[in-house]
Amino acid sequence: MSDSEDRPYQSMDFDAAMPDSEEPEHLDDQMAPPPVPKGKGRAAGDDDDKEEDDEDDEDEDEEDEDMGRKGKKRAKHRHKRAGASRFLDIEAEVSDEEEDEDEDEEEAADGFISTFDDVDEDISRRDHARLDRHLDTVEDKSPEQIARDLSKRYGGRAVRYTGDMNEIPQRLLMPSVHDASLWQVRVKPGRERDIIFSLMRKSIDVEYSAHPLNIHAAFQRDSLPGMIYVEARSAKQVQQACHGLVGVYPSRGIQLVPIEEMASLLQIKKQDLTVTPGSWVRIRRGKYAGDLAQVMDIAETGEDVGIRFVPRIDLTPRDEGSLDGAKKRKKQVTNATMRPPQRLFNFEEVTKVWGRKNVTKRNQVYVFQNDTYKDGLIEKDFKMSALILDDVNPTLDEITQFSKRQDGENEETVNLSIIAEASRKAAIAVLQPGDHVEVFEGEQAGVHGVVDEISQDVVTITAVGVDIDGQKVELPARSVRKRFKPGDHVKVMTGQNADETGLVVSVADNVVTFLSDMSMQEVSVFSKDLREAAEVGSGTNIVGNYELHDLVQLDAQTVGVIFKTERDSFRVLDQNGQVRLVQPHQISMRRDSSRAIATDSEGHELRINDNVKEVVDEGRKGRVLHTHQSFFAFLHNRDIVENGGVFVTRARSLASVAPKSNVLKTAGTDLSKMNPALVATGGMVGSGAMGRGPRDRDIGTTVMVVKGAHKGYAGTIKDTNGHIARVELRTGNKVISIEKDKLQRRYPDGKLEPLTVRPTQGQGNFGGGQRGPSSFGVPGGGRTPFNSVGRTPNPYAEGGRTPAWNASSRTPNPYAESGKTPAWNASSRTPNPYADGGRTPAWNANSRTPNPYATGANAGAGVGTGWGGATPGRTGGWGGATPGRNVNAGTGGGWGSSADSWADSSGPAWSAPTPAAAATPGLIGQTPAGYGAPTPASHTPAPWYDSSTSSMPPATPAAAPSWSSGNQLPSDDGPGDDWLFSPVIANFLPRIKVKIEGTKMDHYLNGDYENKRGRIPAVTKVTSEFEQTVLVYFDSGDSRTIQARYVVPLPPTYMGEEVLVIHGPQKGTVMVVREQPDDDRITVSSKANPAAVVGIPKSHALALYEDTGR
Amino acid sequence: MFFIKELTHTILLHPSYFGPRMLNFLESKLYSDVEGTCSGQFGYIIAVVSILDIGKGMVLSGSGQAEFITRYRAIVFKPFKGEVVDGVVNNVNKMGFFADVGPLTVFVSHQLIHPDMRFDPNSNPPSFASDEQIIEKNTRVRLKIVGMRVDATEIFAIGTIKEDHLGVID
Repeated sequence: MSDSEDRPYQSMDFDAAMPDSEEPEHLDDQMAPPPVPKGKGRAAGDDDDKEEDDEDDEDEDEEDEDMGRKGKKRAKHRHKRAGASRFLDIEAEVSDEEEDEDEDEEEAADGFISTFDDVDEDISRRDHARLDRHLDTVEDKSPEQIARDLSKRYGGRAVRYTGDMNEIPQRLLMPSVHDASLWQVRVKPGRERDIIFSLMRKSIDVEYSAHPLNIHAAFQRDSLPGMIYVEARSAKQVQQACHGLVGVYPSRGIQLVPIEEMASLLQIKKQDLTVTPGSWVRIRRGKYAGDLAQVMDIAETGEDVGIRFVPRIDLTPRDEGSLDGAKKRKKQVTNATMRPPQRLFNFEEVTKVWGRKNVTKRNQVYVFQNDTYKDGLIEKDFKMSALILDDVNPTLDEITQFSKRQDGENEETVNLSIIAEASRKAAIAVLQPGDHVEVFEGEQAGVHGVVDEISQDVVTITAVGVDIDGQKVELPARSVRKRFKPGDHVKVMTGQNADETGLVVSVADNVVTFLSDMSMQEVSVFSKDLREAAEVGSGTNIVGNYELHDLVQLDAQTVGVIFKTERDSFRVLDQNGQVRLVQPHQISMRRDSSRAIATDSEGHELRINDNVKEVVDEGRKGRVLHTHQSFFAFLHNRDIVENGGVFVTRARSLASVAPKSNVLKTAGTDLSKMNPALVATGGMVGSGAMGRGPRDRDIGTTVMVVKGAHKGYAGTIKDTNGHIARVELRTGNKVISIEKDKLQRRYPDGKLEPLTVRPTQGQGNFGGGQRGPSSFGVPGGGRTPFNSVGRTPNPYAEGGRTPAWNASSRTPNPYAESGKTPAWNASSRTPNPYADGGRTPAWNANSRTPNPYATGANAGAGVGTGWGGATPGRTGGWGGATPGRNVNAGTGGGWGSSADSWADSSGPAWSAPTPAAAATPGLIGQTPAGYGAPTPASHTPAPWYDSSTSSMPPATPAAAPSWSSGNQLPSDDGPGDDWLFSPVIANFLPRIKVKIEGTKMDHYLNGDYENKRGRIPAVTKVTSEFEQTVLVYFDSGDSRTIQARYVVPLPPTYMGEEVLVIHGPQKGTVMVVREQPDDDRITVSSKANPAAVVGIPKSHALALYEDTGR
Repeated sequence: MFFIKELTHTILLHPSYFGPRMLNFLESKLYSDVEGTCSGQFGYIIAVVSILDIGKGMVLSGSGQAEFITRYRAIVFKPFKGEVVDGVVNNVNKMGFFADVGPLTVFVSHQLIHPDMRFDPNSNPPSFASDEQIIEKNTRVRLKIVGMRVDATEIFAIGTIKEDHLGVID
């Protein structure tokens, strides 16, 4: 019997304690046990419970046990009566009557005896006469009279007590405010029953003492753990009663049960005894705990159930002595060891182990150790309480064990009736609205529909079908079952195949066979366990962190591929071809073989997902799942049945099935990544495209820690990551991570120097100490021309060669090359038109920097003058700004410095050696205008772009803009962004005529805007990371945002044009061109004073649009 | 069933591909991306018939990649429940056989094969055979699709040949 609510409760009656109190008849009425004779506490209840209780708690104290047994005896006695009468209180009344009768008889006997004792014959005669008369009247009574008497005597009570619970008289019995109240007391969970007993004993104990317990009754319900209920007039009485009892917690509150709830507390739900022959139960405890059993018959009492189940006979008894067959021994053995597996009884096997004399055969039935075995199954009587009746959920496997017996080893045939029976009950629980069901029994059999509503055991379905399509039908839930048809996609909800999904291939009654999505195997399950599902079972191939077909590390030597996932375990095929069953915790890690390299038999690289086949052995084909140690390859082929299609082979024995796909095949490339074709060439241009920066030059440096915990330690930098260096200390053989600024380079002589400074030995050679670390470019090369000119006695010749960063030749920088070659022939490689003008190697070098001024300077033969002419405007700021650097510059020489500027315009270092400015201060002073260079070359900046690819700004005139940025003056040749921001032109910016130049060469915007002229409404300076752009309103009417470097100002072109003078005394004024401009000079005068004409270099003037009167 | 269907596909183009051959890149990318794929909604995309509009490349801020939403017309193959199709047997085992219907794999369970045809485990290659007919690898069969599992990227179907006019076709 289950532990459900149906179980009767424990109760005691304490009527005796309060003889004058009103007897709570309603309680008695509803309690399973009727009131007991007065003066005795009585515990009654489910005798099964009690029995097991007694059996279980044999170590309980004696008193307790005695009580229990008493109660049991009484209970047993009670149970002898017919089932229905147990709910009636007949006996109590009858016993009262009997007592009355006894009394009567006693009286009568007394009288009789007294007649004996008394000598007075009269009295005795009178008594006799009276008795006679009485007997006469009794005899004279007609049967009707007797019947009337009887009905009069019992009838009223019978009516009173046989009332159905739902009938009106019952209501009159409900407790009212005049009755004693019911109090809920918290107790220790699990000890409710014991406490009730204790309470009862206590009540008996103190019954006749000065302070009897003033409670009427107490009971507990198994369904309400941790509570007992006491009937008493007040909470105080309850408190008194509970005082001193262990496990009762009156402190947690003694709560009054509302009157309307009192009755329901005692309501006994009629037990739904579903135990019918053929139904399935489970055994609650013992050796067979949890085993499935089938009910064969039920004893009349409804208490004992004959069941049969698969025996667990120990065929390997440990103890030889147990061969004696003593049951006790056997028990010990089984208790001590694992319980034997379920196996059908086999006479031969058992006799072999246990001896023939232990097994006897009585017509078709074997008796072994007092158990009866029939058809391999054990048949035994069990108490109802020892069986689990609810939630039996027999699995197909378990039932098959039974059906095996029935069908004589035929596994295939499943007795559908017993399965149906087994699953019927559970099926109710798993129905959900929306499920497709069909009715398989009853008058609606064959109808199918969709579940609308479920209320307990009744389902309402909307029928789908011929006659009653759309109608709602109410049906008992047990007569419907889920309906699936071939082709449905289903998911298993419970059982060992839980989460498996698949397509239904066949349906036989309530067994559904489907093809699993994962394993492509057919699986048969009960329809009740299935649900239609849209998703593909994902749960089945992921357990823990591991997934089907993962390569996992099993131990140090072994790896394997998961080819099957089960519930909480995997089947793994290891590299040796062995199959292992492993739990997730046995896997040390998942391995990623996506980067593993292996080659096939032809030496081609073997990649994951390649389709390959074996060239030896069976020639199996498959898709590469993983490779391991370049030797093993795990392949997968769905056509292979064993191991889920996974097999392991040697990589060298494989050959590709399909020709190798070209990695760079256009179709397959990922267009959202960098174009690989460009990567190949682009990598040549600058380090930026290389992906990785140069190896840190500090690696390998001997350093000393100058700060922090390791201060004073010397070591070697092994690796760097940003500003963190990993330093291997000389002492302790330890590698530490430390910030670079805590380190200083240590020279053999012990001298220390910050890491940011280049090594001094290099300094000595090429004087490059001033160069910033970023100047990986050409500096040495830049200097070499001088060497060839021979002006400087030679340290730089070496220097040209030394810069390590040139040697790396990562940058196909012609200047790097040139660093090695004293001759500037190398320069001829750049198609610089000015190269032709190179008259000395030195000047060729210059021409490489397509500095128009260089050519201009060529006219002047002297180097110094050349520069002077070329650069004064730009260097205007230099002389003053960096006098200190000029000192340094002395070491580098003027040309060298300019070379530096090619190297990197952004670093401060290049500017340090700007010696030119220093060397020619006079020139600067004289021609401080950017446009001072009398050369038209300034207007043809295109060659710059000719000679340079746009990705080589450091090596090319891009340096020039940075020059101009130094002094904020527009340099005509520096199409840098910055001339636009010169304060000189700011007021006239919207009027300045500009044109677009250089876009053709760079294919900027297809060169569409080349040579277009326009004006700039305004400019906004952007941060240095971005390309400076300006919006240009073209004369043609359209407008476009153009990179500023393509925007150049126009020089004056015709007489009468307004110009803005940007250099010289008239700087900042607007003049008018008075003569037709010639090549390099123009004659201008102000509007206000047209006569005062002056001649200025053309490049000192910017053409302006007419003043629109803005 | 085959359909001609207008579909769209989004292509992301790295800036390094911007240039004169961009359209070529896009087209080949479209073909390689969509042909032979399967979407649960439309079925298998067999072939691109024509490109209706390669799309305007919108440069995505942040990555610099251009997003082209390409409209194209393609032949799609979408199987339906109840559809009768012809296929070629690919694999036979005791549970039934797998047949290829173009790109679609259809499983025919032995329960959905006429009981006359029994699995012959001893035959090589394995086959289902009755007195007149034999189903083995590369046999052409006509079958009816009874159920489908449609994933985002795959369609799997089960079929039956247990009805009239279904089975081996000569």
